[in-house]
Amino acid sequence: MGTPDPITPLTPAEETFVAWLDSNSTRDQVLAELKANLQTAIEIELATIPIYLFTYYSLLRNNESGETIGDAQLYANKAGGVMMSVAVEEMLHMSLSSNILFAMGVAPKLYGKAPGHYPTPLPYHNPVGPPGPDGSTAVLIPLEKLSFEQLWHFLQIEYPEQWDALPQDRDWQTIGQFYSYIRCLLRTKFVTDADFQVGAYASGIQPYNYSPNNVDTVYPAQGFDPWKPAPPAPKPGWADADSGAAEVAQFPDDEDSHAGQSELLCVRSLQDAAEAIDTICDQGEGCPVPDVGPGPDDDPSKDEESHYVKFLKLQAQFADYAGCSEQLPPEPPPPAPIAPAITQDELIAAGLLCDFPDNPVNADYPDGYRAIAEFNSALFQYMLIMTETIYRVPPDRQKLFFNEGLHRSMIWVMDKYIRTIRGIPIPSGPYQGKVMAPTFENVDLGRPAESFARLTRFGNAAIDAANAIAEANPGGDLAGSMGNVVYYIGVALTKTDGSAPMHLPDVGPYWVGSE
Amino acid sequence: MPLRAIPKTAANPAPGQPVPDPYPYPPTPAFPKTVATGPRGMPAHACMGLNSCKASDRFGVAGPPIPKSSNGCSGKSANGCSGGGGTGPTNLAPNACAGQGYCSTATDHTCHVQNSCRDQGGCGLYGTDEELNRPGDNECRSQGSCATPINAERFSTNGPNQRKSVWLRAREVFVEKWPAMRAELLEKQAKGELDSNQPLPETPGPPPALFAETGPTYLWISDDNQARGNMTACGSSGMSGAGGCS
Repeated sequence: MGTPDPITPLTPAEETFVAWLDSNSTRDQVLAELKANLQTAIEIELATIPIYLFTYYSLLRNNESGETIGDAQLYANKAGGVMMSVAVEEMLHMSLSSNILFAMGVAPKLYGKAPGHYPTPLPYHNPVGPPGPDGSTAVLIPLEKLSFEQLWHFLQIEYPEQWDALPQDRDWQTIGQFYSYIRCLLRTKFVTDADFQVGAYASGIQPYNYSPNNVDTVYPAQGFDPWKPAPPAPKPGWADADSGAAEVAQFPDDEDSHAGQSELLCVRSLQDAAEAIDTICDQGEGCPVPDVGPGPDDDPSKDEESHYVKFLKLQAQFADYAGCSEQLPPEPPPPAPIAPAITQDELIAAGLLCDFPDNPVNADYPDGYRAIAEFNSALFQYMLIMTETIYRVPPDRQKLFFNEGLHRSMIWVMDKYIRTIRGIPIPSGPYQGKVMAPTFENVDLGRPAESFARLTRFGNAAIDAANAIAEANPGGDLAGSMGNVVYYIGVALTKTDGSAPMHLPDVGPYWVGSE
Repeated sequence: MPLRAIPKTAANPAPGQPVPDPYPYPPTPAFPKTVATGPRGMPAHACMGLNSCKASDRFGVAGPPIPKSSNGCSGKSANGCSGGGGTGPTNLAPNACAGQGYCSTATDHTCHVQNSCRDQGGCGLYGTDEELNRPGDNECRSQGSCATPINAERFSTNGPNQRKSVWLRAREVFVEKWPAMRAELLEKQAKGELDSNQPLPETPGPPPALFAETGPTYLWISDDNQARGNMTACGSSGMSGAGGCS
């Protein structure tokens, strides 16, 4: 813990670019470019989320737990915790960019803005990058289960901006350089605090909705006594001398790794916007050290590693890392190989990796299974619509809406739905022999006002399909999984507690008459 | 609908193995899986030691299934309530008044925002700093964090209570808010909305003695690891201290 990060001063390259913008632009041009680039930033952050979640869900994190946990399981659990810690911060970054844009009077667009196919480029990313493990320089990010190569693709996303790099808004080489361009636009003489006071401050996504860690970002550093009460409770006489879960827990995100007063912040000034951009850049690529380059940590208290370093350290524990020819940047220096080394084959042999198809699409799932896959895509799109809706919810109801909409859909519906379908073998078609993997396609839910009804149609189709498969395969694991598919769709669409709804909120009333 | 566990390979050891031996709670009533009828008009609560009145726990007005002669409940605890107050394993505190109850009266739920009423959030696993620092103290439906009951192994993942026991924090919060809660209940009692013989002491009584320093352990909740389905708690990391949900 420590104090929030200071705002990073402009580099010489940025100062030069700001001077150029001041001399060669108009206020209208700068504001238009700023708004367009903020929408692009939202889409870049959004693009990373399905990629990280797909790989995250390929991991079985707690087949073994407690005192008997082995090295492969420890790695799988750590990899899962680290990936979730990054995914959580990507959601934060998407929210921060959205809040800046909203403050400028523009409604952020997320629905239908995820990548249309995989492997995918990120918006305006330079399609050619440093060579990877196989020598390829293509920057196309797939949906794949965990592997040494997939971690390279993660590094392609998080490749850190080197000291005094050029700001870039097209063919950008690092996300840091893209945000550097935005930072320069913010620092021109044309932009004022008043430009961030168009959208109502109280309607932004509020800080109280964000938390950096949860039980899914946490992972154990070593084996532990699962029966030992958490401190400061005294150790009961019957408990082992070993550490309990609380003592070995690792928290990969830290609460002070941000600029400004809070991780998530609403915007009404240039300072707020600058702090939001700084938080995004530092968490992703590391806090910059003047005249050197990005550090390994994202905050001065050095309690949290950058996304780049988190992923690189996961890669460094793969046996493939030693002697690998992938081209890493000079700063921060790459770590030495980390022991004990593991391989993807070991993870598969230990039953810790789901055999997902690569880059799956709904259309290639067999009949019946297709509808089950489509529901996850529909749910994903509905989550994006709910995020856009937050800006329309009266501020005094935002907390409840966020809990019932976003938290419930992420933690209680999508998480459980994916963890259910990944146990379902695919019986035919191009993915035969694999298990079901999530899809995150831009399925059409119509206008937001009618989107809950459209989501319900997707849900009913998936329920019919699941029931038909269960009837054709009575008893056994498959029927049980199909029962869970039906259950979790019910949680999303129809669950009540007596008379009160406990399902996702219908966003329709917030959109009627305004589209 | 019961949740199906993710299939495990035969090579994996059974969850929770090895289990402490001997079982340290043999004279303790088994974890009650259902919520029995409680007194009229009393608020629901999230866990052991967080109850507002006599008989407001999962054993309800019938009390725990222990012969009165063996549980020492004829004595008086420091707050003047019958039973409890002792520390020996045979002095099993029945639910004689506020703070002395076994386990939650709220319908169990397993995850963040899945609670249906006030003070039902267990906390610790998901949620913001503010939520995680006030376990068992949420305003309303969908505003509570995480599963009930609050097993003793659970630690907070965020905020000032990070890495520390959620149940101990919940008990602190309960004791802290008890005066206001008591005043509310006394007012109800004065209006005849609560039984007049319901004791509402100035200070809450102690939790059942064997759990007073830890809260309810998952070893007890799971009946010596024989019934891991007695509660589930969300999360994929295997660190919630209870059986995860799939």
